[in-house]
Amino acid sequence: MSAPTSAKPPFLGFGLGLRAEHYADILDGDPAIDWFEVISENYMVPGGQPLKMLDRIRERWPVVMHGVSMSIASTAEPDLDYLNGLKALADRVEPRWISDHLCWTGVHGKNLHDLLPIPYTRESLDHVCDRIDLVQNALGRTLTLENVSTYVRFAEADMTEWEFISEMSRRSGCWLLFDVNNVYVSSFNHGYDPLEFLNGIPQDRVVQFHMAGHEHLGTHIIDTHDREVCADVWELYRHALKRFGPVSTIIERDADIPPLAEIMVEVEETRRIAAEVLPPESLARAAA
Amino acid sequence: MRGFAALQGAFQNAILTGDDAVLAGLLDGPKEGREALLAVYRHAYSARLVEILASDFPALKAVLGDDGFETAARAYVSAHPSTHRNARWYGRGFADFLARTEPWSDRAEFGELACFETALADAFDAADLGPLTLADLAAVPPEHWGDLIFSVDPSASRLDLATNAIELWSSAAEGADPPLAAPLAATEKLIVWRDGATPMYRAMTDEEAMLWDEAARGSTFGELCVLAATFAAPDEAAGRAAGYLASWIGAGLLAQARPAEVS
Repeated sequence: MSAPTSAKPPFLGFGLGLRAEHYADILDGDPAIDWFEVISENYMVPGGQPLKMLDRIRERWPVVMHGVSMSIASTAEPDLDYLNGLKALADRVEPRWISDHLCWTGVHGKNLHDLLPIPYTRESLDHVCDRIDLVQNALGRTLTLENVSTYVRFAEADMTEWEFISEMSRRSGCWLLFDVNNVYVSSFNHGYDPLEFLNGIPQDRVVQFHMAGHEHLGTHIIDTHDREVCADVWELYRHALKRFGPVSTIIERDADIPPLAEIMVEVEETRRIAAEVLPPESLARAAA
Repeated sequence: MRGFAALQGAFQNAILTGDDAVLAGLLDGPKEGREALLAVYRHAYSARLVEILASDFPALKAVLGDDGFETAARAYVSAHPSTHRNARWYGRGFADFLARTEPWSDRAEFGELACFETALADAFDAADLGPLTLADLAAVPPEHWGDLIFSVDPSASRLDLATNAIELWSSAAEGADPPLAAPLAATEKLIVWRDGATPMYRAMTDEEAMLWDEAARGSTFGELCVLAATFAAPDEAAGRAAGYLASWIGAGLLAQARPAEVS
């Protein structure tokens, strides 16, 4: 079945991953945030405060839905209840796009609440593309998928991660969320040049960047989202801007969440670097 | 597809059971062996679920202490792999687990405290329905009140507590040292619900709790009045039942009222 295709989502500017800790400061203030990414599952609840807060946010800012448990690469039967719940939330929120991760989270009726790695093989590529078709048809819109941080590689892989992602996007039509930190983490853990990954991704498929912090353990890096973005990832962000142009960007923080004012320093940094790297007319054109 | 599915099964098994069979299909990293890299996923699995429980049961964690809570949470994680896509629902069985698993089952306050925190969490994001207002009720002719049945608010849970779990919760919420756990002289009847955006709780008398439970089961207001008459002072039973009804409506505890269907 052919997947629904939609026009490339617009450039939204420089945003933040919405966290409950910041609700009051965001809604009572006027932070210089262009848009918010929300964790879909946090709002896939019957009612109450979370949905009321989200309604108030979306009245004032563009919102994108980002899920953590679609498990697009799982070989388990598709979870239609989950997809129906996601679609119901999307009908309420009207997000600019919906994203999740290129990973699986469980099989055999279990969910490990983690973003688990896949072997980059023809077999898994066929499977993932079939599932993307299914999801895009269920949601009635084009999906956006993110590269995850990985810690292991599979001996049976017959292509690189960037070759897999590029082919997946070409075949399925899905957009790409390029997580700059995840590219850095995986490149260190597996011993390749992050620029090789970056330059292997098609320029016209990336609609969003993620920026986040990680924990460096010397022999490997863990994707923790519990601290500031490091200098190397900022440098990779510069390269990403040069290759992909103006791309909607957010800062992600999921643990040790600081006050909004502190995290705004990083949001401003994404904006400042983009203004430095990109010609002014390209940012203005993208924002128009 | 069979190879990919088998690989996922083996990988999940490695995380859940410690089976190392999947290692044969993994590569060493440039600076770290495959065992240590696989351990990142093994550690993250239990750590994440324990963290989810800690976030959902802060008072229980304060009462058990960090180490005591970690032990209880890890036991639950081992016994109950998550079957939910949404981590929000993972802790739903924790209270029941504590109530029937030694050594925690020897201390009823642990299960009751977890049960209370589950009710608060459920109230927080329960469905929005109603609330029933006094104006809604005033629109019903008084002669039809006896036939009304009520839908309780989706956020409402009724708990019967045999220990001072609420006292333990209050002290934990205030950051104070918890008092000694103790059985109560009489069972505490409690209602937990959400009023506006805020989870609430209050005690109910035995009579009010009995009438609430019956109302929640679909008894008509007339039947509640009859029941109240069996409890105390029959002449004042209808007045007392009306008083409870008014207080439930005032607190947002009822969602809807409708006439009972005539059979």
